[in-house]
Amino acid sequence: MTTLPTKQNKKLGLVIDLDICVGCHACAVNCKEWNTSGHSSPLHDIDPYGDDPTGVWFNRIHTFEVESEINGSKTVHFPKSCLHCSDAPCVTVCPTGASYKREEDGIVLVNPDTCIGCKLCSWSCPYGAREYDEEAGIMKKCTLCVDKIYNENIPEADRVPACVSTCPAGARSFGDLGDENSEIFKLVEERNGYDLMPEQDCAPTNKYLPPREKNNQFSSNKLQSITEDKEITFDSWKEIIENASK
Amino acid sequence: MHPSKSIIFFTVFSGTGYGILLCLSFLAFLTNINFDSNFKLNLIILSFVFISSGLLSSTLHLGHPERAWRSFSQWKSSWLSREGLAAVITFLPLMIFYLLWYLDNFFYIYFLHLTSILCLITIYCTGQMYATLKTIPAWNNKLVTPIYTINAICMGALTVYCFTRFYEFEINYLYHLTIVSLSLCLFMKLVYWYIISKKIISTANSATGLGGSNNISLFEGPHTGKNFLTTEMINKIKKEKANFLRLCFSVLTCILPIYMIIQEPSLIIDSFILKLTFFLVLIFALIGMLVERYLFFIQAKHTVSLYYGENKV
Repeated sequence: MTTLPTKQNKKLGLVIDLDICVGCHACAVNCKEWNTSGHSSPLHDIDPYGDDPTGVWFNRIHTFEVESEINGSKTVHFPKSCLHCSDAPCVTVCPTGASYKREEDGIVLVNPDTCIGCKLCSWSCPYGAREYDEEAGIMKKCTLCVDKIYNENIPEADRVPACVSTCPAGARSFGDLGDENSEIFKLVEERNGYDLMPEQDCAPTNKYLPPREKNNQFSSNKLQSITEDKEITFDSWKEIIENASK
Repeated sequence: MHPSKSIIFFTVFSGTGYGILLCLSFLAFLTNINFDSNFKLNLIILSFVFISSGLLSSTLHLGHPERAWRSFSQWKSSWLSREGLAAVITFLPLMIFYLLWYLDNFFYIYFLHLTSILCLITIYCTGQMYATLKTIPAWNNKLVTPIYTINAICMGALTVYCFTRFYEFEINYLYHLTIVSLSLCLFMKLVYWYIISKKIISTANSATGLGGSNNISLFEGPHTGKNFLTTEMINKIKKEKANFLRLCFSVLTCILPIYMIIQEPSLIIDSFILKLTFFLVLIFALIGMLVERYLFFIQAKHTVSLYYGENKV
């Protein structure tokens, strides 16, 4: 049914730490790798080796430049995939019931056998989490690796979404965000994790952790001395840097 | 948003077909609509072709048109499902109305009103499907559904009016209905264009949460090429081109027909030229309406564009 479940036993989701993410795209690549042979397989590519390739990806990494008067400018890598919203508009707009949210863990999925490919769910998602598979004629989306996290054929330590297990920097965490005693819940509390576009009222499950404040002492006043010193040798420059960073 | 040809065709042609019935229903309250049978037959064929070709075309953009029947199941939550259901139910009284009207059976009047109520429900569902999408501020707007309705009514009235010119006879009140509905349509579009130029729902700051007073700009997209999101939901049109197309719509669909209808008595032309003129008026009005629907899509920004370089939507 396309009505949302009235209660959710669990709220499985991801927490993405924007302070740690280095923008390597490994999570996106491993996502494609796992999912092209999993629940939604295959994730078609069109013209993959040609001039204008496109294809279905569930996870994409954007990079933003954030300029502020106090902290100067910084680069923030921003991975984005389905946020498995509690109040998911993509589920309620579906005319066939192909799009649904699971009561047991809150994962939002598409039934590939009943989806008619009307694309209305992709229009209703503010985050652009859903991608239409042109070849298959149906909508596809992040499954939170539902075929991996419950898979008893793989070691227990690997039963996390592909993007989480592959992240070399540890920027992604997975767990039950509905459980106040879970580590992931505490992490969100501690770091002031936030929702994307709260004004859209989707109540996303996934949370983002903001980049930490920059230590500003180094950049502004102390470096001034370098420019004032007219003759800078490599050794004197190194010394200044070392002193400044202490 | 990507202006899908099949959806534009659907709203314009089904809308006009429904509008013909709404117009007849309205006129039936004021005057006798039991016209000459040849005239009736042509109006029946035209409205039926418009409604059904529009509905069929709306299934063309589906990835799996053969599964379209499944969309009748989720009427409890989905406006699209309600629309499909309402459109199909409408056909039943519509067919009975056609038959009784053609056979001069008095009961046609009840089926006409029943059909027009269902037409209104169908149009309402179509409008609500767009108006409830919070992700697209240009559509998440109280005027969207009324505009769908007035578009249908004015095009229906204009079609019947042009038909009366081909058959050279008068229907009481049709003149007024056509002019008022066309004027109202233009007025509502002008208000709508003003509203959408002001409305902002989300910003790049809220989309990334990197917010506050910081200035946020996209440094690097996720990939160098296009993807489904950029082709489906991020379409741009130059402001000058959009303004030109708005003018085209206003002139072709509203101003030209109103002018021709009012000026008709003063145009000393023979019967053939008169018919040709009103045939062209109708064709131009339909083209104008297609342009208006195209603009409705191409000018609507989706919040996903905030992740692809847009600052506010």
